[in-house]
Amino acid sequence: MKILVPIKRTYDPNSKIKLKTDGSGIDTSNIKFVINTFDEIAVEEALRKKEEFGGEVVVVSVGTQEWIEQIRTALAMGADRGILVDTGGKYIDQVGIAKILAKIVEEEKPDLVIMGKQAIDDDANQVGQLLAGYLNWPQATFAYKVEVKPNEKKVTVVREVDGGLETVECELPAIITTDLRLNQPRYASLPGIMKAKQKPVKTIKVEDLGIDLTPKVKIEKLETPPPRKAGVKVKDVDEFIAKLKELKALPF
Amino acid sequence: MNFAFQPEIEMAKETAEKIHKKFEGRRKELFEKIRRNEFVQEIWDELAKAGFLGSIVPHEYGGTGIGLLGSAVAMEELAKYGIGNALFVLTICAESCIIRNGSEQIKRKFLPAMAEGKIKCALGVTEPEAGTNTFRIKTFAEKKNGRYIINGEKTYITGADVADYILLVTRTIPYSELSKKGLPKMYGLSLFMVDLKSKGIKMHKLNTRGIEGMNQFTIFFEDVEVPEENLVGEENQGVFVMFNGLNPERILAGASAVGLSEFCLKRAVEYANQRCVFGERPIGSYQAIQHPLADVKIRQEAVRLVVYKSAWAYDNNLPPQEVMFLANSAKYLAAELLLQAVDRAIQTYGGAGFVEDNFFIILWDSARLLKTAPISNEMILNLTAEHVLGLPRSY
Repeated sequence: MKILVPIKRTYDPNSKIKLKTDGSGIDTSNIKFVINTFDEIAVEEALRKKEEFGGEVVVVSVGTQEWIEQIRTALAMGADRGILVDTGGKYIDQVGIAKILAKIVEEEKPDLVIMGKQAIDDDANQVGQLLAGYLNWPQATFAYKVEVKPNEKKVTVVREVDGGLETVECELPAIITTDLRLNQPRYASLPGIMKAKQKPVKTIKVEDLGIDLTPKVKIEKLETPPPRKAGVKVKDVDEFIAKLKELKALPF
Repeated sequence: MNFAFQPEIEMAKETAEKIHKKFEGRRKELFEKIRRNEFVQEIWDELAKAGFLGSIVPHEYGGTGIGLLGSAVAMEELAKYGIGNALFVLTICAESCIIRNGSEQIKRKFLPAMAEGKIKCALGVTEPEAGTNTFRIKTFAEKKNGRYIINGEKTYITGADVADYILLVTRTIPYSELSKKGLPKMYGLSLFMVDLKSKGIKMHKLNTRGIEGMNQFTIFFEDVEVPEENLVGEENQGVFVMFNGLNPERILAGASAVGLSEFCLKRAVEYANQRCVFGERPIGSYQAIQHPLADVKIRQEAVRLVVYKSAWAYDNNLPPQEVMFLANSAKYLAAELLLQAVDRAIQTYGGAGFVEDNFFIILWDSARLLKTAPISNEMILNLTAEHVLGLPRSY
C-alpha cells in the first residue's frame, strides 16, 4: 500500500506568536518550526498502516528549502522518501496548494492520501476537501479511527462530528484528513534520525508543474486578538449564575 | 565558526523534548518517586527506546554514533523538566571506556545490549581510603585459571541496587609493590565489567542525599569471580581506560546542570511575574529580583557553550589533555551555575522556596553535590593549574 502524506511546516504551537509591526505577517524571528500537529498525526497513521500492510510512505511539502527540515523529521519517524515542491517563497492559497497536490497524486498514484484536517497556523481546513474535489476521490475528514481493508480496496473511517462519531466507508483511493485524537505520534528515534540522512528527498520547482497559481484569496491584514480583560471572583454558584445573566451569557 | 547544531542533533533534541512532554502531566507523581529515591524505570525505557543510550556506540555495535553531544542535549532537555538521570550518565561512561579501549570480544558482548538500554552500569572507583587519589585503591583482582578473583571494598557507589553491572577499577599490581619494581604509580590499574549479581558481592545502603532518584552503596567484594574477557582495555593500563570514562561523566553532568538551571530560572521568572507583595506590581518588577535572574541567564549561556564544546571535543577525538580541560571546565562552571540558579529560585520564591513540592529545596542537595562529585571543584583547579598552566603540583 502506497500512502502519500502532505505535510506543512508551521510554528511550534508552544511558541509565542508576534506580528510584524505592519501587520503583513508573522514575525518569524526566534520562532521554532515543526510539522503541523495534524500532519504529524497523519504521518503516524500512515506509518501504522505501512507496518500493518507493508508498502511505502511518501511525504510531500509545498514550501521553501527550509521545509526539508520537517520532511527529514517525517523521514526520521519512518517515512520512506520525501518530495518538496519548491515555491521560492511565493504565497500560494489553499486552492493552489490543492492543485499542486493533485498533480503530485497523479504522478505518484498512491492508494491513500492521509493529511491533517487543517494547519494550526491559518486553520483554513480546506486543502483536503479541495484535493478530493480536484481528483474526484472520496474523502473522509476529521478521522478518529481508520481501518483499511486493502483486499476489498476499502477504508472505514470513524469521523468526529459535532454530535458524536460518524462511521463512513470509502472506496480506495481516498483522501483522509486527521483529527487530534486519531493517534499519539511517535518521536523520531536516534536510529531513525541517522537513517533519514540517507533517504531521498526530491525537489520539484513549482513553475515546472505548469499550474495557474494565481491566488483567489489574499491576506489583507493580520491582527492579534485583544488582550483578555481581568476576570472577577464570585462567591458561589448563585452569584456566578446572576453574573452570567447580567452579562447576557445565558440563553435563558 | 558555526554555532548551529547539525540537523541530526537538532532532531535528537526535539525527540528528547517530546519524551519529556510525555511525562509532563505526571510530573508530580514522578517527583514523588524521585524524592523517595526510587528509580524511574519508565524514563530510562523511553530514553533507551529513542536510542539515547546508543548515541556514542558505533553503528556496528548497535548504536547510532550520533555522538556524546546527542546525549548531552538529551540530558539538558530532561533536566529542564527537573529530572536528572545519574545512571544514564554512568552507563554512557562505561560505554565510552569499552568503545575506546575494549577488545572486539568485550565490545560485542556488552555494547549492543547497553545501547539498547538492557544493561545499566554503575561506576566503581571510590574506596573508603581512596577517592580522588585513585592510584591508592586497594581492591585487587588476581588472575587465576583464566579468571580474575576480586577482593575489596568500594563506597559511594551510585545506583548499585538498580544497575546490572559495575565498571570496577581495581589494582592488578599492589600500590606498595610499584616502587619496589620501579614502576610508575599510574601503572597496575585494571578495569572490569562485573556482574552485580555475582557470588561474593554484598551491598550496604548509605544514607546519602543529593543524587535524585538514586541510592548510594558501599559494596564488598569477596572472592568475586570475573571472566577474563570482562577486562576492559589492557591489564595494568586501566588509568587510560578510566579517563575515557571520566570525561563523558563530567560533560554529561555539566549538561544536566545547565538544564536544571533552566528549570529553576523558568519557574522563578514565572513566579516573579505573578507574585505581588507590595501593591499591584509583581516582585519581578524589582531589580533586586530581576538582576540576579538575568545574571543566571547570562552565565547559563556561557556554561552551555563550554558543555557543548567539550562534547564536541570528545566526539571529534581532540587530544586527551584538551578534552579533559574542557570537560573539567564544563563541570566546574556548571556546578557553580546550578548552585546559583537554585539559590536565586529559592530567594525569588521566599518561604515557598522551602516547600518540598516546589522542588528547589530538594534540588539544592543535588546542586551542592555537583561541587563535590564526580570530582571536586578544588581538584579541577589543581589539575588545571598543574596540567594546563604548567604550575607546580600543589597537592
